[in-house]
Amino acid sequence: MPSGGKKKHKKPSRKKSELDSVLDQVGDESAAAAIQEFQDLLVEAKGDTSELIRQNAEELERRLVLLKDRKIDKEDFDYFVENQKRDLRVYVDAQPAQNQERAEKLTLHVLEIAVTKVVPILIMMI
Amino acid sequence: MNSTSLPRNVFLCVAAIFITSCGTATFTKTGSDATIESLRSFQLAFIDEFAVPGKKFNATAFNAKVNEGNAKFQQAIADEKFTARRPVLVDLKAQFDADAAHLKSKASRGKITPALASEMKKDVNKIYDHALGR
Repeated sequence: MPSGGKKKHKKPSRKKSELDSVLDQVGDESAAAAIQEFQDLLVEAKGDTSELIRQNAEELERRLVLLKDRKIDKEDFDYFVENQKRDLRVYVDAQPAQNQERAEKLTLHVLEIAVTKVVPILIMMI
Repeated sequence: MNSTSLPRNVFLCVAAIFITSCGTATFTKTGSDATIESLRSFQLAFIDEFAVPGKKFNATAFNAKVNEGNAKFQQAIADEKFTARRPVLVDLKAQFDADAAHLKSKASRGKITPALASEMKKDVNKIYDHALGR
């Protein structure tokens, strides 16, 4: 399931999600830039041709909403991210060299931004 | 034996060995898949038993079930005929270890939520599907 190269990628939809509505309220300029990068990457990942990349993005979004709604806590969220990373490392390493950078950006990098930038902001907002 | 029968017999012999080996590989793969499905069922039942909101944590029952799981995974790894499948089983064991550690930490503090149990089972099903190449 290659994710990069010259393959066409589905046009990502920009319909606002429940998560977008919360993240759009971030006022701080430096945090807003990180949030914007995260939102853009998430939309790109959700429109990717690889089912695994799409599934990872959807799982991440769903779990961020669960965290926002206090249905899971940060410990649970971190634990699920570690599960996702364990699964994704195998996928990224199995990609052809020319696709690895893009696959990593849309999977492991998105998870990293979620943990380091998005979650602290979400927790402050709830 | 004429001059054409020897190559023909050799060919038939090679073909028979090939066909037999394919059948054996399919049979072994089916057995290996069944083992992975059995481990999946065990792990889902483990979550169902201990990821219950409000249920009092029973450390003795929990540790007994973890020991049972460890034995099942170790047996599956030792019995696996496909050497390429062993790392997959090791990955599944790592997931079981991570699930057990997280469940113990949360259940012992009474911090299990319905969403936690549901998401854990989704992750288990996903990693097993990937292990089976689905």
